[in-house]
Amino acid sequence: MTEAATPVKAESSERYKTLIVALTMITTIITAIVAGLQADANIRANAANRDSQYYALLASAELRRSGLQSSYDLNTLAAVLRETQTSLMMQFTALQSEQSSDKFGAALSNISALAAQARADKLRSFSIFYTDPRYAPASLDEMPNTDSYVIDANARANELVKEQNAAADAYHVWNSKADSYVGVLTVMAVAFFLFGLAQALTGQMRLVFVIFGTVILMSASAWSLLILVM
Amino acid sequence: MLKRLNESPRLDIVIAVVIAVVSVTTAFAAWRVSMVGSAAGDAIRQGLIDAVKQQTAAGEDWRRTYEEAGHAQTYAVALAQVEAFENSNDKTAQAQASTMRQYLLPNLQLVVELSSNERYLKSDGTYDLELRYADLAASQPDMAALDPQASFKRSDQYSSEQRWLTVGVVLLAISLFWLALSQLDTNRSRLVTLAIGAGIYLFGLIWFGLVELIFFSVRGGVL
Repeated sequence: MTEAATPVKAESSERYKTLIVALTMITTIITAIVAGLQADANIRANAANRDSQYYALLASAELRRSGLQSSYDLNTLAAVLRETQTSLMMQFTALQSEQSSDKFGAALSNISALAAQARADKLRSFSIFYTDPRYAPASLDEMPNTDSYVIDANARANELVKEQNAAADAYHVWNSKADSYVGVLTVMAVAFFLFGLAQALTGQMRLVFVIFGTVILMSASAWSLLILVM
Repeated sequence: MLKRLNESPRLDIVIAVVIAVVSVTTAFAAWRVSMVGSAAGDAIRQGLIDAVKQQTAAGEDWRRTYEEAGHAQTYAVALAQVEAFENSNDKTAQAQASTMRQYLLPNLQLVVELSSNERYLKSDGTYDLELRYADLAASQPDMAALDPQASFKRSDQYSSEQRWLTVGVVLLAISLFWLALSQLDTNRSRLVTLAIGAGIYLFGLIWFGLVELIFFSVRGGVL
C-alpha cells in the first residue's frame, strides 16, 4: 500500500510546478518592463520639471526687461504730450499777452513755447510711439496706438509663460505615470509572493495561490497598459 | 556526456559561482545607473544655477541701459532746447542758450556713458540702446561664458544613457533569475536554463558596455 502511494504523492508535489515557474518568469519579465517604464517616466518628469523651471526664470526676466522698456517708452510718450501741451499753452498765453499789449510777457511766453516745442520735437524722435510705424499715429491730431504696443510688449513673456505651462503640465503627467508604475511594481511584488507560496505548497492550495497570483499578475499588467496609453 | 555533466556535483558549484559573478555585476551596473542619474541631476542643477546668474546679470544690464537712456534723453532734449534758443532771434533766449551750453550741457553729458560716447549716437540724434546693452553684457565675460543650454544638453545625454543602461540592468536581473532557476532545477532542463541565463548575462554585459562606450564618445571622453 505504501509502495503504491509514493508515486502518486510525488506526482502531486510536481503538479503545476512548471506552470508556476513559467508564471514566475512571465512576472519577472513584466516587472522588468514596468521597472524600465517607471525609470523612463521618471527621467521624462525630471526633464519637464527642469524645462518648466527654466521657462519660469526666462519669463520672469523677460517681464522685468519689458517692464523697464515700457516704463521708458511710456514716460517718453507722457513727456511728448506734456511738452506739446506746454508749448500750445505758452503760445496761447503769448497771444493773450500781445492782445493786452504786454510785450514783455508775450516775449517770455514765446521763449517758453519755443523751448517746450523743441523739447517735444526731440522727445518725439525718442518715442517708439512716433517712430515705429506699427504704433505711430496717421496724423498729428491722432493718438498713438498704445493697445498694439501693450500686446507686442507682452508677447514674448506670454509665449514663455505658455511654454512654461506646457512643461509644467508634462511634468505632472510623467510624474503621475512614474508614481502609478511604482504602484504596479508593488502589486507585482505581491504576485511574486503568491507564486513563491504556491511553489512551497502542495495539492489544492497550490492551485488556489496560482490562481490568485495569476489574477493579480493580469490586473497589474492591465493597469500598466492603461498607464502606458493614457 | 551531457547527462553526466548534468548530474555532476561540480555543476552546483559552477552555477553558484556564476550567480555570484552575475550578482556582483548587477550590483555594479545598478550603482553605475544611479551615478549616471545623479550626473543628469547635477547637470540640471548647474544649468538652472547658470540660468539664474545669467538672467540676473541680464536684468541688471537692462536696468542700467534704460537708466542711462533716461539720462541721455534728458541731455538730448536739453541740447535741442539750446539749439532752438540759439537759432531764435530773441536775445534773452540766445543768452540762456549760451549759459546752458557752457554750464548745463557738459554736466548732463558727463552723467552717463550713453550720451558721452559717440559710438552710441545714431544718425537721428537718438541712442543705440541695443549696442549699449551688448557692451554692458560683454563687459562681464564670466557671465557671457555661462551656457545653461549646454548643461541641459549634457543632462539629456546622461538621462538618455540612464534609460538604456536601465535596460541593461533589467537584462542582468533576468539572467540572474534564469541562473537561480538552473540552481533549483534537478532534471535535464538544468543545462538549458543555465545556458539561457549565461547567454542573457553576456548579452546584458555587451549591451551595458556598448551603451557606456557610445555615450562616452558622444560626451567627448567624459565618463
